[in-house]
Amino acid sequence: MKAGLEVHQQLAVGKLFCACPSELSDDIEGSFVRRLRPASGEDQAVDAATAFQASRGFRYRYEITPTTCLVEVDEEPPHPLNAEALEVALTLALLLEARPVDEIEVMRKIVVDGSNTSGFQRTALIATDGHLDLRGKRHSILSICLEEDAARKIAEAHGEVTYRLDRLGIPLIEIATGPEISSGAEAREVAEEIGALLRATRRTRRGIGSIREDLNVSAEGGQRIEIKGVQELRMIQEYVDREVARQEVLLRVRDDLRQRGVPVPGTELTDVTSIVPPVSSGPLSASARKGGPVLAVSLRGFAGLLRSPPGTDERLGRELADQARAVGLRGLLHSDELPGYGLGPHDVERMRTTLGLGPSDAFVLVASDDRARIAAALHAVVARAAAALEGIPTETRDPLPDGRTRYSRPLPGRDRMYPETDIPPIPVSSEHLARLAAHLPERPADLRERLARETGLPAELIRQIVSSDRVDPFEGLIRAGHSPALVARVLIQDIATVPHPEGEPEPEFSVGVLEAVLRAAADGTFAKEGIPAVLAELARGAADVRTAAARAGLTGLSGAELEALVDRIVRANRRLLRERGREAFSPLMGDVMREVRGRRDGQEVAEALRRAIDRLATDESPPS
Amino acid sequence: MTGSESGDPWEMLRSLPMGQRVEISDGAGHTWTGTVVPRHEFSGERILPLKIASGYNLGLRIEPTYTVRLLEPARSRTRAAGPPTSTERAAAAGARHVALLTTGGTIASRVDYETGGVRPVKEEREILAFYPDLEAAGPVRIVPVFDRLSEDFTPRDWMTLADHVVAAFGRGAIGVVIAHGTDTLAFTAAALSFLLVDLPGPVVLVGAQRSPDRPSSDGPSNLAAAVRVAREGGFGEVVVVMHDDLSDERFAIHRGTSVRKMHSSRRDAFHSRNGPPLGHVDGHGIRFTEAPRRPASGPPRVDGPLDEKGGLLWFYPGIAPERAAAFAEGLRGLVLAGTGLGHVGTQHLDWIRAAIRQGLVVAMTTQCLDGEVDPFVYATGRELQRAGVVYLGDLLPETAYAKLLWALGHGAGAAEVQALLLADVAGEFRWRRQPGAPA
Repeated sequence: MKAGLEVHQQLAVGKLFCACPSELSDDIEGSFVRRLRPASGEDQAVDAATAFQASRGFRYRYEITPTTCLVEVDEEPPHPLNAEALEVALTLALLLEARPVDEIEVMRKIVVDGSNTSGFQRTALIATDGHLDLRGKRHSILSICLEEDAARKIAEAHGEVTYRLDRLGIPLIEIATGPEISSGAEAREVAEEIGALLRATRRTRRGIGSIREDLNVSAEGGQRIEIKGVQELRMIQEYVDREVARQEVLLRVRDDLRQRGVPVPGTELTDVTSIVPPVSSGPLSASARKGGPVLAVSLRGFAGLLRSPPGTDERLGRELADQARAVGLRGLLHSDELPGYGLGPHDVERMRTTLGLGPSDAFVLVASDDRARIAAALHAVVARAAAALEGIPTETRDPLPDGRTRYSRPLPGRDRMYPETDIPPIPVSSEHLARLAAHLPERPADLRERLARETGLPAELIRQIVSSDRVDPFEGLIRAGHSPALVARVLIQDIATVPHPEGEPEPEFSVGVLEAVLRAAADGTFAKEGIPAVLAELARGAADVRTAAARAGLTGLSGAELEALVDRIVRANRRLLRERGREAFSPLMGDVMREVRGRRDGQEVAEALRRAIDRLATDESPPS
Repeated sequence: MTGSESGDPWEMLRSLPMGQRVEISDGAGHTWTGTVVPRHEFSGERILPLKIASGYNLGLRIEPTYTVRLLEPARSRTRAAGPPTSTERAAAAGARHVALLTTGGTIASRVDYETGGVRPVKEEREILAFYPDLEAAGPVRIVPVFDRLSEDFTPRDWMTLADHVVAAFGRGAIGVVIAHGTDTLAFTAAALSFLLVDLPGPVVLVGAQRSPDRPSSDGPSNLAAAVRVAREGGFGEVVVVMHDDLSDERFAIHRGTSVRKMHSSRRDAFHSRNGPPLGHVDGHGIRFTEAPRRPASGPPRVDGPLDEKGGLLWFYPGIAPERAAAFAEGLRGLVLAGTGLGHVGTQHLDWIRAAIRQGLVVAMTTQCLDGEVDPFVYATGRELQRAGVVYLGDLLPETAYAKLLWALGHGAGAAEVQALLLADVAGEFRWRRQPGAPA
């Protein structure tokens, strides 16, 4: 197999073509409704992907937030390209040793799924022909582009899709690698390294969705498939591996079809409403309850090839169902999954008789109260079945949370691009490049090496810090005199334990706040173990570290109180001590720490406990 | 073929035809393969624009050391043929059709890859390619009149358009739509309101704020709404139909004499001044807020001519009286866009008095755009009125200018022109301005 990546990283430098901030918002000020239609590019051809989207005939509702202006609303021409975003892109080009273009031409990439109010995404090629060296292997960097992010999809119902405009126009750097990746694990590593490189510019946005990957995957003998918009790095490997498995199954299906001499399926639709019994579950049930029609199409020679072969979860039947879903149906039933879903063996037999099918033939059922939609779905299903004879159709797929992917739309071609005539070409001067080259950020590999050398921390921990976008606080806190191991623990582990709403990024703490927390711990205001609780109170709104520590109940345990607490627990566990002697130390330490709750340092508590155990031993030993 | 054979490869590259495929090497290990596309008018020196396989365009500065290889042309794409025209069929059948007069402007423009700008189209086929649903509700006969942007229009063009409207009704059109650039669309609408008499059906001006080669163009929905109003409106006057708000679903019908472009780029840029629009059209049909003018039964005619010896001057603090007087020289009439209730600096009273004495017609409007002028509230107004300045109620400056040219074309002397200016010719004066009306 081979794979390539497109990494998309949002920049925190204001929007690309207007003066709005690169910030999301839940404050909806109003909305409006638009329709889009395909427009032909320079050479008058309407792209397949474009025509497909337009054929779905959706209305698009756009939510206006305080972070949007007339540019996002498509009511004002774009402002000049954000100069800071361009600097970041050129910096990346230099870091990846790519060749910047001499004049940047902003293009319009036609996208009529409604995610851009204009019907196109503005995008510009910044540089080509770079490379990234990782673990002794050279990965080619095909292109570095600067483009605007799309609007956020909020809902889809009844032919209307709702988008929020806050994200539209946030600058995205797109870095495309060549197809040299040969495993899912390697794909993840390359994505991580590019992510670290992007963060090295210090001008990237953080949080969920601020970095997204498109994966281009083809199995041996397969086709390039684009999995679009993967947000979680840790899922990359699974998407890649599963896509390879999917392609392998589809290639086997193709070979079987050819061996059987299966003809290209015909598009004759048969109304089988009268044969289908009232079904209560599955894709036909909703329509059947309303008395909507059920239509069938025959796939001669396909019997047994729609279901998953043993040992895999992939199957052609799902590909066909995805086609029905793409035109707005709940799905379909195919003969390889029947009897079932309320259809008995007798029903299936009647169906075969009606359709004139033999045992080697398959059929597909679709239901909806919208006949036009049924016809569109079945035509798409037949076209997809016909494509199975050829192999694997190139397409764009959406990643699903469980590691699977789903058909989204045909792979867009080059027809989608034409010049953004509202923006003149932007020259890239050698002087500008020389200025940027003189101030390049440290490459992640160099940074890792230096931090390992300076701190003596293990390589894996250093790798996590460099990937985490917290290098600045890490170095700042160490310079302030705190131990590298403790700083690393706070940045990598403790912050992650601070409660925050599901789906939102970890809370941010400024270097100043973190420094105050660490200093208070060093002063003995509370123990190092209390740091997560202090951070949690700060995130909850405590005004300063002292207040946070007090709210967390971490202050106010004096030395005498600690002694008393330890004594009480030791006395209560006399029997345990008698039975297990010194071995009782660990369980007792656990009990004590639970009550101390980080108010005193662990080391101190351990010493107090030892003293108490010794005291008890002295008290209880018979007088000599 | 390499550039080095002829020395500087730029000499050869700059003369290559658009569409030529080339491979360019910079001698430092970088190679680009692409198709030569037209140079942008703002491109730098020695910049060659290339479209590469991914569809991106990029600009390369061609150094004398670069080498060039000419490549075989890529497989040629068949240009999609435009849809057939139905104009002749519609005319031959004598069907109840709407006439669509095209004049250029954004609504009939496409991206020009030569200049990087937007260029008007004039061929019927091109227009139908943009608006495939144009004839969804019945035949539309397309009549190309001009192919120019509206800032290039002159009053003579208003006359030509008026003639075409009358001719279109003469050929049996039940309504006429005029696709027009938005910049001066309101001027044209006002002029046609005075020029066209006894209209048997609606005359609907329409434009677009986004060019039709964008998927988000407001052109298709504006045009569909305009054609609908022309077909079903059942009135006999000149109106403008454009977006009512930011959504693509509701359109305002503005009276031709009280509409103005109030925003440089929004699709709901057109507003009726001093009151609500004449009506609206949306998914529920056409509704009027006041009764439109009933269609005439007689044949329509052009009530010309226009006399172009009229001017429009926007008063501003600091304009020298001599400069203003010089502007008025040689004119028969002048509309002033004055401040507030209709004032200009008292320093201007002398030249205005002198010019009026010599026969210049001077009319006053307000640059506030909303509200009417009134000469009696302040001393300056009273002085101007006494000097003979005609106060034109709530007429927009642009409407007053169009009306002035029409009045100059019809009135022999200053008194007659003044009387025509004050007469209600096309329903242009609003006599009531309600407090609830949008400003």
